[in-house]
Amino acid sequence: MRDKAIVMVLVLVCVVATTWSGIRLEQTGVEQQRGKSLLLLPNGKHLKAASLGQAPLLADLMYLWAIQYYSEYEREDRFRYVKHIFGDVIAELDPNYVDAYWMGALILIVEANDLEAGLELLDQGIAANPENWILPYLAGWECYHADRFDCAEAYFAQAEALPEVPVYVKRTRIGMAAAKGDLRRAYAMWLDVLQDPRADSGTIDIAERQLRHLKVKIDVQEIQGWVAKFQFENERWPGALTELIQSGYTDALPFDPFGRPYDYDPGSGVVAAPRDRILPEGS
Amino acid sequence: MLERHPNALGAIVAIGLNTFREAIRDRVLYLMLVFALIIIGISRLLSLLTVGDEEKIIKDVGLSAISLFGVMTAVFVGVSLVFKEIERRTVYTLLAQPVLRSHFLFGKFIGLFAVLLLNVVLMSAALFALLLFRGEPPWPLLPALLLIAVELAVVTAFALLFSSLTNPVLASVWTFAVYVAGHLSWSLLTLREKVPEGVARWICDGLYWVLPNLKRLDLKAQVVHGLGMPEGYVGLAAVYGLGYGAVIVALACWAFSRKEFN
Repeated sequence: MRDKAIVMVLVLVCVVATTWSGIRLEQTGVEQQRGKSLLLLPNGKHLKAASLGQAPLLADLMYLWAIQYYSEYEREDRFRYVKHIFGDVIAELDPNYVDAYWMGALILIVEANDLEAGLELLDQGIAANPENWILPYLAGWECYHADRFDCAEAYFAQAEALPEVPVYVKRTRIGMAAAKGDLRRAYAMWLDVLQDPRADSGTIDIAERQLRHLKVKIDVQEIQGWVAKFQFENERWPGALTELIQSGYTDALPFDPFGRPYDYDPGSGVVAAPRDRILPEGS
Repeated sequence: MLERHPNALGAIVAIGLNTFREAIRDRVLYLMLVFALIIIGISRLLSLLTVGDEEKIIKDVGLSAISLFGVMTAVFVGVSLVFKEIERRTVYTLLAQPVLRSHFLFGKFIGLFAVLLLNVVLMSAALFALLLFRGEPPWPLLPALLLIAVELAVVTAFALLFSSLTNPVLASVWTFAVYVAGHLSWSLLTLREKVPEGVARWICDGLYWVLPNLKRLDLKAQVVHGLGMPEGYVGLAAVYGLGYGAVIVALACWAFSRKEFN
């Protein structure tokens, strides 16, 4: 009986000691230094060799851990090893893990504000997965959000050339040409889409709407140029757009996609097309 | 051997069936199977933590669980099969019958491999059910599962070979060592480039071709990512693995036939 009591007391002492030391350890702040432990993260090549054929599983576990790790926003040094974790470790373990390249790039671009590093990681993924269109497509959008339309169009063109790419990738690429101000090239590309026998009815609708929209923008830009030239040479705005023909600035004036003349304000020299004119009549 | 003993096939089948019955009563087997099924179930929970393709996590965890627990079962059950018979002295009763030692060992191999196949089928069924429940077709995983079964045949053959040579502890260590070496045999080619020309390179080459190259039987990443495989790869890999396993079983039969029982 006495032995049992002694054992019980000892067990109780152990439980109390473990709980107390656990609470004290929590309070020491060792957890806050966890970023340093990333220095001990082995290279992906070594992990792959040690995984004995289970590299994809190890890549999944590393990816899940990385998501949790980068979800702690209060960590100060959280962006220091993003490329190492996603590019050197996870990508080495499973080079075809597209989500990991994408997530690593998002952390670098959106949170660390390092577009170049993010694009480098996406380029690494593109090189490892040359048949996968989603990575150049995502890289294109990241360039677009940074107002780098040339870079965006180049990535969308890369995605467009790959197999099994959805039709909207081509539409997005044309959108990039228009965004960087290359309206005539965008117009010609939409004409190509319209004439493509594989285009479905939805794509045809979009192409027709975009062609109308671009025609209005191109026309307004062109007429505005003639008006500006008229004003520069005559030191006044033309009284009406027809004066541009009479004065020899153009042989003919363009009409909007529905055959109507563009609006013109002789007081300010502004040429415009009301927004509703790009929509089909009656809609 | 089969020609010399008209009842050889019957004896092998009888020993195989007996081994099968004995193995499925083994608690280690159930422990492994239940644990693997739990892991496959947990893969669904793990997939909830990810951002992106949840099915990838389920497939990776499922295939790895089937492979790892299959190997562990092959080792832990395989290494004790022959040893138990010797220790309990039941082997004397058996070998007193008109049964060759090689038939006895081959029967043991067939029985254990049948158990492992049953395990793979059960674990695959759990994984398939999970994927089907999520509306994901599981059929593309079949080539990887087939080659996991072939890998288990190779591991079982080694477990049986070492089981007929030494005690279960050493046999487990050796079988795991072969498994590790089989997955790292590619490193011999790297080492070959680092050592000077001559004997060292011949040893690297020799070991590379003699050791089982288990990496050739690993298609997990390919099936999960839907990557293309060279035409006829699965068939060739299966022939390689089964051929290798058959040679090791033959070696085990030869070693067992020369074993002295005290």
